[in-house]
Order: sequence, then structure tokens, then C-alpha cells
Amino acid sequence: MASFVPTDPETLEDQRRYTQARLTRVECLDCLAAVGVKKNSEHHTSVQWSSQAAAACPDLVRRRAESPDGRLLHHACPRMSASIEAAVRDGRLTIGAEDGY
Amino acid sequence: MTGTATPTGTRHLDQGIAPDRYARGWHCLGLERRFTDGKPHSVPAFGGKLVVWQDSTGGLNVLDGYCRHMGGDLTQGQVKGDEIACPFHDWRWGGDGKCKQIPYARRVPLRARTQRYATAIRNQQLFIWFDPEGSAPDESLLPPELPGLTSGKYTDWVWETEQIEGSNCRELIDNVVDMAHFYYVHLAFPTSFRNVFEGQQATQFMESKGRPDVSGGYGSEDFFLKSEATYYGPSYMINWLWTDYKGFKTEVVLINTHIATGPDSFTLQYGIIVEKPEGMDDETAAFIGQKYADMFGQGFLQDVHIWKNKVPVQNPLLCEEDGPVYQLRRWYEQFYVDVADITPDMTDRFEFEVDTDKANEFWQDEVAANLARKAEEDAAAEAASASEAEGADPALMSGT
Repeated sequence: MASFVPTDPETLEDQRRYTQARLTRVECLDCLAAVGVKKNSEHHTSVQWSSQAAAACPDLVRRRAESPDGRLLHHACPRMSASIEAAVRDGRLTIGAEDGY
Repeated sequence: MTGTATPTGTRHLDQGIAPDRYARGWHCLGLERRFTDGKPHSVPAFGGKLVVWQDSTGGLNVLDGYCRHMGGDLTQGQVKGDEIACPFHDWRWGGDGKCKQIPYARRVPLRARTQRYATAIRNQQLFIWFDPEGSAPDESLLPPELPGLTSGKYTDWVWETEQIEGSNCRELIDNVVDMAHFYYVHLAFPTSFRNVFEGQQATQFMESKGRPDVSGGYGSEDFFLKSEATYYGPSYMINWLWTDYKGFKTEVVLINTHIATGPDSFTLQYGIIVEKPEGMDDETAAFIGQKYADMFGQGFLQDVHIWKNKVPVQNPLLCEEDGPVYQLRRWYEQFYVDVADITPDMTDRFEFEVDTDKANEFWQDEVAANLARKAEEDAAAEAASASEAEGADPALMSGT
């Protein structure tokens, strides 16, 4: 049963556009995690993890185990952040937005 | 309304349809002490009302507020022994949801069971488990205990309640990702803004400072705020705040929690505790707690004013500097579908860093322009009043 049902089919396309469009696969340089990344600008970063990727990241796995309240998980993995920066430097991840997304 | 974009490119709002159910999870009903006076208490929730009372063992019980006999309002009944007695025909209901006694009847019908809600106490607050599918309560999803709460590390709770009419509670949830509204609605100046969603938690990190050009917002120009705010489940947010006012540092914990009372209404509750600084007496610490409660209370009212006048939007149009509204709503959706229908993308980890550079550049200029205009107006007012009343003490003429 769905909630907040859109009344317009175009809304479904918006949902796809904002959540899935233009995600570039970035593999971690240190572990087997691979995520979808979008960078609209130098400062902006959007990172979509999968459960497989989160399970493959030793940093997240360790912090999950050490943090019953989840607070330690609220920070990015520094190795993945470095891998994303490297992907930008190498030209594998382009910076730029398309009309707001 | 036939489409979000017409052939001419005009965009339309899709207002969508509000959900016909309420969020699964633990919901906070308020401070425990509110319910421990031996009287029945009424809590509007989920399109109806609940009755809450304390039994002789000290435990708190929560049932649907209406008697299954003839619909009497149990919240207007009496606590008799461990049971709540209906004011209509004195049917006695136990905390386990079973009718224990009908004083005028030979026996109680076996089918006399009403809706009960499992309870838990966390952070000196009462929680109930709500699930339209009727699942057993999942204690692992309760919000964390605040360390030091019972050992006198913090001031006592300042706790406030607001009834919000005319808005679905998702409007409140949307604030998690709404960087720019902190400038325009709360008159603060976000300099850093980040979100992480994973599992049942949605977090916002923000650093901000006060705006020097306006008053009535989150503090003055000398006020720096670092904030970590996490929703544990659909309705209970713990917001850890570190403030710095001219070198005076304070740690504040703000609880922001709500219960939907209908498809377009909810009860908002917020509570504040302040870490007592070394050497500060309790009275001063309590005063600071009240000040913060007033400030954030004012902040919620600023939101409420917007909500009362806006429409729901299912297809927000975003710019590059906006936060991840669609991903937040995807996360929030998990609480409104059957457990079997939760898809991985609702709970998978997602991280978002908002680009505040362009916004900060523009806002710096806007604040500077406002201050310059204000200075000119002040000078003009001062000159005018000086010529009217020569020789008066200039210190008394603020001009504002």
C-alpha cells in the first residue's frame, strides 16, 4: 500500500530523475565497496550506497559494531571520500548539474 | 490538473493524496511524569484518541480511547484498581487490552478485547509501538538513551506541546533536508549542511551562525551553532546542539517529536535539556534551558506559519543548492508501507553534502546590504531627532 500517492505520472519521472539519474559508479580504492555518485559542483556530493557496498566497507562495518545508537555511522567513510576525489581528479567522475539535478 | 508539464513547459504542482494510514514505529507521547498521577489521560493520535493511565505496579498502560461496549470515552473514566473504568457503563479494561470486569454482568464476553499499545520508557518519556499490521513491538528500534540524563548532567526537561492543524506531518520531516529555509524562515545562516539516511535513521548535520541584520531568529551574529539531528524512526528526533556565544559554550539536547492526529494534523512536542556548565547553579542553568526552549519554540512557530499557508507538493522542483528531498521522502515511505513492501532503496545508506558556497556568497551580500540600509536609516532618524531636541543625550536615541 503506497502513501502520498502522486496524482500525476510525471511525478514518477521526477522521482527517478532526482534519485537515480546521472549516478556514476565509483569503486573504493581500498575495499570492494562500489557506490553511485553525483557531483553537481565541487562542493556538492551525493552518494548512494547499496547494502552490499555498506557490508564491504570495513570502516562502516566497524563503526556499526561500535555504535549502538548509530551516531558513529553519521560520518562518511574517509576512504570512500578519497576515492571519490580521486575519481574526479582522474576525470572518471565529471562535475556538473543538469537543470537542477 | 493533468500534468506536471504542459506542452508550453508550464510546471504544475502535484499535490498528491495524503496517506490513509499512519507511520509504523515507536511514537513518543510525552514525558512519563505527565501520566503518573493516577488519573486517565487523553492523547489524540492516529485519527482517534488514546487513554493512558498508571496501574498500581507503577506501569503505564495505553489503550484505544473508546470503550468497545457502546463507545464511551475512556479518557473521561476513572482508574479503578489497575483498570480503566468506562464512564458510560463501568466496564473495566486492563492494560493488556482485555475487559476484566463488568460489574452488573454475570460474565465478561470472551471477545471483549480492545486495541492496546505496547509501551516503553526512554529518556524519561513514554513511547508506544504502532503498526497497522499488528506486529509485535521491536525494542531494537527504540531511540537511544541519553547518557547522563539521570545523573544530573543536564537541567530538568522544559517540555512544550503544539497542535498543528491543516498540515500532514511530512511537512515537518521535510525540514531535515531544507538548508535554505533556515536562512529565510529561521533567520539563521547555514554555513555547512549534510545528510545521511540509513535504515530507520535520517540525520542532518548543520553549522550555522546568527544573522546580524534581523532579530527574532536563531540568535545574533555572535551566535554559532553546530547541530547533529537524527530521526530514530518516523517521528522522534534527537538534536544535539553545541552553541558558542562570545566564547560561552553550551551543549543542548532538543527532542523534536510528533504524533499524527489525522491526515492533515499532528501534535508537535519538543523538549530541551541543557548540560549544566561546571560551577553553574541550577537556577541559572534552568533559566538557560527555558531561553533555548523559547528560541526553538519560536522557530517551530515560524515553520507553522509557512505550513498553514502552503500546499502539499508531491513533485518539488529543485535547484542545485537544495537538499535531497526526494531521497528523504523515499526513506520516510518505509514507515507507511507494509513491512513486506519495504524496498532496499528506502533503507540503503545515502549521503548528501549540500553546496552552501553560492548561497553563502549571496547571503553575505544581502546581509551586508541590509546592514548598510539600516545604518543609513538609523543615521537619518538620529539627525531628525537631534534637530528636534538639541542637547538631548545621544545615547538615548537608538533610532530603531
